[in-house]
Amino acid sequence: MNQKLMFKYFTSFLFLFIIAQSFGQTQKDSTNYKTGYGIRLGVDISKPIMGLLDENYKGLEFVGDYRLRKNLYLAAEIGTETNTTSDDYFKTTAKGSYLKIGLNLNAYENWLDMNNEILVGFRYGLSNFDQTLDSYTINTGSDYFPGNPIAIGTISKDLKAHWIELVLGIKAETFKNLYLGFSFSYNILLSIDDPQGFKSLYVPGFNTVFQTNTGFGFNYTISYTIPFFKK
Amino acid sequence: MKKIFLFILFITLVFSSCEKDDICLETTTPKLILRFYDVASTSDVKAVQRLSVWAEGKDTLTQYKNISLDSIALPLDVNATETIYHLKRNQVSGNLVNNEYATITINYVTEEIYVSRSCGFKSNFSSVGFSIDNGWIQSITPINNVSINNESKAHVQIFH
Repeated sequence: MNQKLMFKYFTSFLFLFIIAQSFGQTQKDSTNYKTGYGIRLGVDISKPIMGLLDENYKGLEFVGDYRLRKNLYLAAEIGTETNTTSDDYFKTTAKGSYLKIGLNLNAYENWLDMNNEILVGFRYGLSNFDQTLDSYTINTGSDYFPGNPIAIGTISKDLKAHWIELVLGIKAETFKNLYLGFSFSYNILLSIDDPQGFKSLYVPGFNTVFQTNTGFGFNYTISYTIPFFKK
Repeated sequence: MKKIFLFILFITLVFSSCEKDDICLETTTPKLILRFYDVASTSDVKAVQRLSVWAEGKDTLTQYKNISLDSIALPLDVNATETIYHLKRNQVSGNLVNNEYATITINYVTEEIYVSRSCGFKSNFSSVGFSIDNGWIQSITPINNVSINNESKAHVQIFH
């Protein structure tokens, strides 16, 4: 074999390689990894734990979402809370239930068939609750005549609050269809009922109401997807 | 994922720390402000010499102990509807023999008002009435129907 022929053979071989590789590439690109679509139900485990640690708190929240599109979920939370707050001059108890509904957008680009989420979402929330002024002391602004503690227990029933939430969170698939999630929300009140001559200071689902009518919430959830189909 | 988690935690801390409202900055229960005038020339303010003030059955108010002032602010007892104050002055030398006494009895109705989470409830006073004994205070005005809901100016004038 002379040298010229040898070169020709090599070049053709290289050419074939390139062609083959580019074909292989396109084929791999078009592979679609399917992920489950369905309803995901769960519970916020932080609330029962807080209830065990703090005798002034009781709460339970169920969470659920439904996958509408690849990165879009319809999400809702429903729960009840009883919370007693002791401030410097009074003690109040809020008790009631709440419902939140909204959308979550998954901003995380998953590899292969992974199913993790970085969530950005919003909620509309509403709560129906009672607030009790357990006791109070008049702030006299002087030690000379301090106010006496007065225990009254005035209940203001059937108070309502509406708000919106901005939600940030993560969810990770730890086992097949089982998710652990953490989310944090910034809440802005739209309207709230105040008791006569007083103020609603804690709203179930909304959390502590700050002077600016805003609040913060968080949850730590375990949830399970019941898959309907794969897409 | 870990970075995101830390980011969320960070945001939580930042927001929750700057939204606290646990320092009371509003005004609370107002004090009764008395201003002392000259009985001989009723438009002139006249300071009381070596004044000491105490409520019935209580110690002397620390800020009004043997001091010369033309106005004082007295706390009222929100747990009662009457507060009695004793005022002692000494216009001459500070010797015991020159002490002069007067008593003011203040009657009122308390009105509880919610201020804020950090300040709690305050009490304003309405239908406030004053009576004086025959001490060094010659007269007081007005003597009834005074409302005390701020500390911006004197509520009563005392002539001596």
